Amino acid sequence: MTLKDYIIRRIIVIIPTFFLITLIIFSLIHLAPGDPTRVMIGPRGLPPELREQVKRELGLDQPIPVQYLSWLSRLLRGDLGFSYNTKKTVWEMIAIRIPLTLELMLVAEGLSILMAIILGVIAAVKHHSTYDAAASLWALIGYSTPDFWLALLLMLVFSLWLGWLPSTQALTAGVTFATPFHALFDHLQHLALPALSLTLVWTAYLFRMVRSAMLEVLSQDYITTARSKGLKEWVVIYKHALRNALLPVVTYVGYSVGLLLSGAAVIEYIFAWEGLGKLMVERSDVRDYPALMGLSIFIAIMVLIANLCADIAYAVVDPRIRYD
Amino acid sequence: MSSHVSTESEKKKEKVHRPSRATRLFIVWRKLKKSELAIAGLGIVLFMSMVALLSPIISPYDPAWVGSARQPPSMEHIFGTDNAGRDMLTLVMRGARISMYVGMAAVLVEMLFGIGIGMISGYFGGIIDEVLMRITDVFYTLPILMVLLLAISMFEVRALDLIILVMGALEWPFMARVVRSEYLSLRETTYVEAAKSMGASSWRIMIRHILPNILSVLIVLATMDIPWFILFEATITFLGFGDPRSSSWGVLLERGFPHMQYAWWIITFPGLALLFTSLGFNLLGDGLRDALDVKVRE
Repeated sequence: MTLKDYIIRRIIVIIPTFFLITLIIFSLIHLAPGDPTRVMIGPRGLPPELREQVKRELGLDQPIPVQYLSWLSRLLRGDLGFSYNTKKTVWEMIAIRIPLTLELMLVAEGLSILMAIILGVIAAVKHHSTYDAAASLWALIGYSTPDFWLALLLMLVFSLWLGWLPSTQALTAGVTFATPFHALFDHLQHLALPALSLTLVWTAYLFRMVRSAMLEVLSQDYITTARSKGLKEWVVIYKHALRNALLPVVTYVGYSVGLLLSGAAVIEYIFAWEGLGKLMVERSDVRDYPALMGLSIFIAIMVLIANLCADIAYAVVDPRIRYD
Repeated sequence: MSSHVSTESEKKKEKVHRPSRATRLFIVWRKLKKSELAIAGLGIVLFMSMVALLSPIISPYDPAWVGSARQPPSMEHIFGTDNAGRDMLTLVMRGARISMYVGMAAVLVEMLFGIGIGMISGYFGGIIDEVLMRITDVFYTLPILMVLLLAISMFEVRALDLIILVMGALEWPFMARVVRSEYLSLRETTYVEAAKSMGASSWRIMIRHILPNILSVLIVLATMDIPWFILFEATITFLGFGDPRSSSWGVLLERGFPHMQYAWWIITFPGLALLFTSLGFNLLGDGLRDALDVKVRE
């Protein structure tokens, strides 16, 4: 089977996966005890006459399978739904929120990959050294640290006590900036703490991955061969070993998209960073279920696409993969 | 009758070339002992378990006891007092009970799904395997925090056990994959063939013959997942989706967050307790992985 066939097959597999996901998300909401209109608008609920009307509008008086099919057909036509609480479509809400999430993701993910590779390669090359032991222990502590607690500590020290960095939102409110550069500088200051919190924890996680992959690769025969040919050590490490050791990292980055889109929610929540994760938390809080369904599907599709890209990248990078 | 005989003879055969259970345990312990970090991890886990078990007896104050609010750490209140004037040390010790319970109970739920699905998939193979693995893939792809928020916000009761159940029911795919691959290779062994030829049923082979042989893998996976569940429950609770009646470390952090500027100790100690516990399990998990010679991807 060629690479092209593999990619086509991999895309076909996504279709049943997508339908299963819609089924799971739909069931989660519709099989929960109670009627969605009862929990829809806060604990107070809607007045009974309005409830009947909303029920009809949402098609909730229809049998469950009919509801699922009509939701699915709207979904397939690109309609993610409408939030009655905010009077906005889900697409509108996503469009407003996604830039900040993407920015935070790219910065934190980029920095942590870079740091993890540098630190991980050094640790693997100097296996059993004091540096290796210290870095590994540090990574284990980082890996065990609750990310949101770290964020609280950073906020407490750098923002509330020292006053060096702002603690919430993406721009200082109520200030007109002299130049775009001033605005950018202000924005970067706001970005610093949320990005740092995520970077510290992810670096620890990725470091462990890079280090163990490097150690495994470095013990293989072809590395010994490369060394015995008289190649310089850095050529062996960077050209021969690292390229193979990065394979698990490629897969991880694909799978981490889901983690990032929703997993950074708690960090966004703490720093009032108006991204998708915070949106998810807010909508869950008021049980805005049409919005939650649309958002969940959107995030799930993003994850599916990211995983697909990761698998294809893996197959392209590593010719040893047998496409089955 | 015949199956009874078969296990008896198998046991005898095992004795010939396999050390007894006690000896095997001793070998693992000797390997584990060599790693200082693993022993430190074991120490932390035992310490936190003792705190969790004994907290009603050893905590210095009653959880309902109220003194003056936001006192900094002192000899009377080693961890200070919270915004309502309760002793933080007492609250953190009581929180250990809940967090340890969450970790262990959620792992049990996870194992129920992970072992069950992995076992059936790996042993029977074919179309069953294909279908189960597709479902596993779907659960593997779903962003767990998102689904959890969705599920928890749809139930009107926010009970701790519900959160445990949902976490366990969502987090099993990795375990299922590992169990599946173990069953896939172990079903080809001669002892399975022998049991089959003596007429043992598939379920009997899966549970009595193969399962004990993958115990070490399961122990390592469970040890590594406990801290994950503890941290995850804390995260959800911090976001305000926890059980308001429980007093887990997540609840303490959630309540402390608005007051942290004036009382750093309110958020510092519950967080340290979380870090300490999760570090203990992770160290122990790493040590067990090496001692039991289990290959689990990081």
